Amino acid sequence: MAVDQLSTTFAALADPTRRAILERLADGEATVNELARPFPVTVQAVSKHLKVLEHAGLVTRGRAAQWRPARLRGLPLQDAAGWLARYREFFEASFDRLDDHLRALQAERDG
Amino acid sequence: MADTPVDREFTITRVFEAPRELVWKAWIEPEQVARWFGPRGFTTPRSTITMDVRPGGTFELTMIDDADHRNYPSGGTFLDVDEPERLVWRDRDIDLLVTITFVDLGGRTEMTCHVVGRTGGAQAYDGWSTMFEKLAASLD
Repeated sequence: MAVDQLSTTFAALADPTRRAILERLADGEATVNELARPFPVTVQAVSKHLKVLEHAGLVTRGRAAQWRPARLRGLPLQDAAGWLARYREFFEASFDRLDDHLRALQAERDG
Repeated sequence: MADTPVDREFTITRVFEAPRELVWKAWIEPEQVARWFGPRGFTTPRSTITMDVRPGGTFELTMIDDADHRNYPSGGTFLDVDEPERLVWRDRDIDLLVTITFVDLGGRTEMTCHVVGRTGGAQAYDGWSTMFEKLAASLD
């Protein structure tokens, strides 16, 4: 698991405006101006937030001149949602093997 | 920054048909850990395991995927070692606290594994998990 990526993802998600931007992008790509409209912040501030989200790999920016529409990138989010679920699977699987191991040990002792 | 909020946790409870001392040893002896630690399809070679089982002691091991031989090194620090009842460690790579407790059921052992995940950077947790699920669903 890319731990650093995960930390960056969570840090990016720590801000309510950035989460709102992501929710907006879940409906489709948008330019900075479009994104700024519903928020009580400046276009510059939204631009900064987008840079953080881009750095975290949560958003990609188009190359179309100054519009550079932002697009949601799902993979890091799915990682964030699933990382502890994967740990759970990991432990469940290990404990199945521990059970087998303990049974084998007991059988050796008794046999 | 203040302690970050707990945002994820889970508990797994298992009953093993073995006395508590045996289960405890399976956790703290590298020879035994090598026999079971890691998912199926992975091997954790004895040679990769070092364990200093005491509060403040560290452990390291490497799980190897049998299919492609990729290495997955892991490790952590023991915070509490209370033989044969409780083992607590913090993961080295990610802010994950694991507590294993062992209850003697008279020849059988109930083991509980409690995992708490914390993530850095957030002071105000207001329902990320719901948002993650919603967003992840929208991305499928």
